[in-house]
Amino acid sequence: MLKRSRGRWSWLQASLPVAIVAAIGLIAIAIEPLAAQGYTPREYGDFPIIGSRAAIWIAAQLHLFFAAFVLGVPMFAVVAEAIGIFSSDDRYDKLAKEFTRLLLVSYSATAMWGAVLVFGLITLYPGLWGYLSEIFAPSMWVYVGIFFFESFTLYLYYYGWDRWKKGRAKWGHWGLGILLNLWGTAVMLIANSWLTYMMSPPAEVTPDTAPGMVQFWSAFANATWMPINIHRFIANIVFGGAIVGAYAAFRFLSAKTDEERAHYDWMGYIGNFIAMSALIVLPFAGYWLGREIYEFNQQMGTTMMGGFMSWLWVVQAFLIGVLFLAGNYYLWIGMGRIPGAERFMPYTKWMLLVLLIGAAVWATPRNMIANRAEITAMGGQFHPFLGVLGVMSAKNTAVNFMILTTFLSFLLYRRANKKAVVSWEKRGTTIQGALFVIAAAVVLFYGVYGYFVPSIVRIGFSVYQVLAVITAIILIVVIDMLMMRGAKSRGEIRWGEMPERSQYALFILAVTFTWLMGLMGFARSGIRQHWHVFEVLRDTSVDAATPALGYASIVISVCVLIFLSMVAFIFWVGGLAEKPVISGVGGGATGSAPAARDQEI
Amino acid sequence: MTNIKILGVMIGTISIYTWIANAIPQIESVVPEELSFSSDVSEAELVAAGGELYNGGAGCTTCHGLETRAPNLLTGYNGEGTIGTRCGTRVPGQDCKAYLHESMMNPMAYVVEGGFDPMVFQARVFSGAQIWALVAFLQDQGGVVTVTGADVAAAAEADAAAPAGGPAVASTDPLEIMRGNLCLACHMLNGEGAELAPPFDGMGSRIEADRIRRGIIDPGAEIAEGFDHLAGSMPLTIPDLLTARQLELLVDFLAGQGG
Repeated sequence: MLKRSRGRWSWLQASLPVAIVAAIGLIAIAIEPLAAQGYTPREYGDFPIIGSRAAIWIAAQLHLFFAAFVLGVPMFAVVAEAIGIFSSDDRYDKLAKEFTRLLLVSYSATAMWGAVLVFGLITLYPGLWGYLSEIFAPSMWVYVGIFFFESFTLYLYYYGWDRWKKGRAKWGHWGLGILLNLWGTAVMLIANSWLTYMMSPPAEVTPDTAPGMVQFWSAFANATWMPINIHRFIANIVFGGAIVGAYAAFRFLSAKTDEERAHYDWMGYIGNFIAMSALIVLPFAGYWLGREIYEFNQQMGTTMMGGFMSWLWVVQAFLIGVLFLAGNYYLWIGMGRIPGAERFMPYTKWMLLVLLIGAAVWATPRNMIANRAEITAMGGQFHPFLGVLGVMSAKNTAVNFMILTTFLSFLLYRRANKKAVVSWEKRGTTIQGALFVIAAAVVLFYGVYGYFVPSIVRIGFSVYQVLAVITAIILIVVIDMLMMRGAKSRGEIRWGEMPERSQYALFILAVTFTWLMGLMGFARSGIRQHWHVFEVLRDTSVDAATPALGYASIVISVCVLIFLSMVAFIFWVGGLAEKPVISGVGGGATGSAPAARDQEI
Repeated sequence: MTNIKILGVMIGTISIYTWIANAIPQIESVVPEELSFSSDVSEAELVAAGGELYNGGAGCTTCHGLETRAPNLLTGYNGEGTIGTRCGTRVPGQDCKAYLHESMMNPMAYVVEGGFDPMVFQARVFSGAQIWALVAFLQDQGGVVTVTGADVAAAAEADAAAPAGGPAVASTDPLEIMRGNLCLACHMLNGEGAELAPPFDGMGSRIEADRIRRGIIDPGAEIAEGFDHLAGSMPLTIPDLLTARQLELLVDFLAGQGG
């Protein structure tokens, strides 16, 4: 009886997003005849107390937070399920299912905030909404259609988990997971076209171009569409991993048994691993996006990097410094529960030093808007010493060193309890060391050389630096995998024997990622300044000015607080419907998994 | 207790970020003020409006407030003084007012030596009155303001007469079309023009007619090799200033420029 009522509850949860999307569609249809009768909507509406801009900002940001979560977690789930299939390790399968269960409620939240956003646009910005819907109407209907497919694929994926558990049926089930991700990515690509059109409308569109005359595909596939797609795709993985880590940390801290602690300790590690792995490549996607913005409109690029937003990048550098430090700190503490890791511990203080120096260099400002008093206080337009560190040569070098250091932390963590048995172990380790040194030397060389060449040449150097780091990472990983085949264990990882303070690092990671997403959302949207559609459709509302970072940070913080509160509620609700299955990972008093299976990733 | 600790860490982290973002200088991007002057507008009014634009919504300080992107116009550059004291001698035979106005209407025309990129200021988003107010403000930086209400009134008339563009010149002579649309301010042809952008000389031997047409209609779509730094600089309004016939005449003419 109890089981049945839980099932009905789950179906109710599951049906909610579909119902919401259907309701939005019906309202959109209802509005159509009004337009046909010659009704002209007002340009702007009012929202009490906080104003229209803050209201729409909060709705859009929260919709985006949840959308990132429901796009990131399926990627996480499908990869975990695949690892489970290929390694025949049931832990990963259970982990994937546990997170897919949370998706059901998260989908509802995403759809609800989506509805708030659409209604907000219709009531507060009807002029802009009418303009955009006239250009993008076909893609809006496709969007709604795909959302239906996505929702029903999710239901099949989750509710079919135990039914399609073995043999070919399991592969079919995994295929559903892939399909879920494809639908999700398609939805993201469509929505991204709307917002990127606002940033970078095609050159032939001018203020005098009627929206009905804008060519659909040229508006859809605009200059910044693909860079944003790639950037968001990677960022969603980072975000999903970070939220998974925070969930695991919460469960770890409230666990009653060693078995639970071991399970959630392991889950926290996986979440952190995925988040940090994707974070390593995120700056490269960001670099491409920035370059495309410059190519689209140089003025927009300079506004972003050196105009009124210049201080934003100092704050961003601080946040990314926190991410790298917290991610590495978690790994270093985690080494305490790995037999054999003691031999690597002396190196951590040097890695910490590199990270601190790297973060400081990255956060060093250079091209700032400064008034005369500030210039005088600084001793000139640039600080006599720090000004040298503020240029991109120094910053690119710093971030590449931070990435190499973080990768080294993972490598040491991965190898901590293993002893290679291959005959070429020493040679392999020497080659790995040499690859690190070569990559660092290339990064340093181009970093220094960059000071002696014009900026247009210097920009190209960052590509060589990135290529050196990525090549080294790939080669080192390949060598490591070959070298550690059949490795002996130095002892089992004692999953669950993790100090509590390590879990707070996971919370800091999740909060920082979330806040950083909000900040970057402000940057992306704010560089349009007083334009709804850059240099095409002007913002003539009372909120047309783009606010300073202080105000933006308050709105971002409010959004983050609302999001995290709702996520906590979702986790709690998820626990009510069905208790998570503890996977019995090797650890504490319970485990006996060999080292090679302790850390497939 | 654990929950309170978690809450404390989260709120503490958020609070620190909010505090840092509020502790740094607060710069708001204001909206360029719409200006409407009568022909008897005073010099002081023009200068004040120009100053507000310069330091606010026009975004001039993004580049001209630094030493690296563009010369600092207000504190002096290269020992030559502020912009008002040197604008009259920048181009022989051109007075300060004409020089400043041309610099804003045709940003690629005069690029100061010293490694600076061409100016990216886009006059198309500003009204004639706003441009003249900026000129007056810059003249006032050590020089004499000669902008008058008559200049502003003429600009307002021109804005009203051509609100949606239209051809810049009526000619069907490719050379006249290029001169009238200021193409030669950046491109070189038979010794005329500037060497900023890819030369028109030999263009037909380098690229096909279709590519030339695309380059005019959508300048950002494909950037010529070696000119990446100019991406976004070519005015996007050129197609609106040409008739279809003029566009095809231009394309044919340029495609016929062999090596």
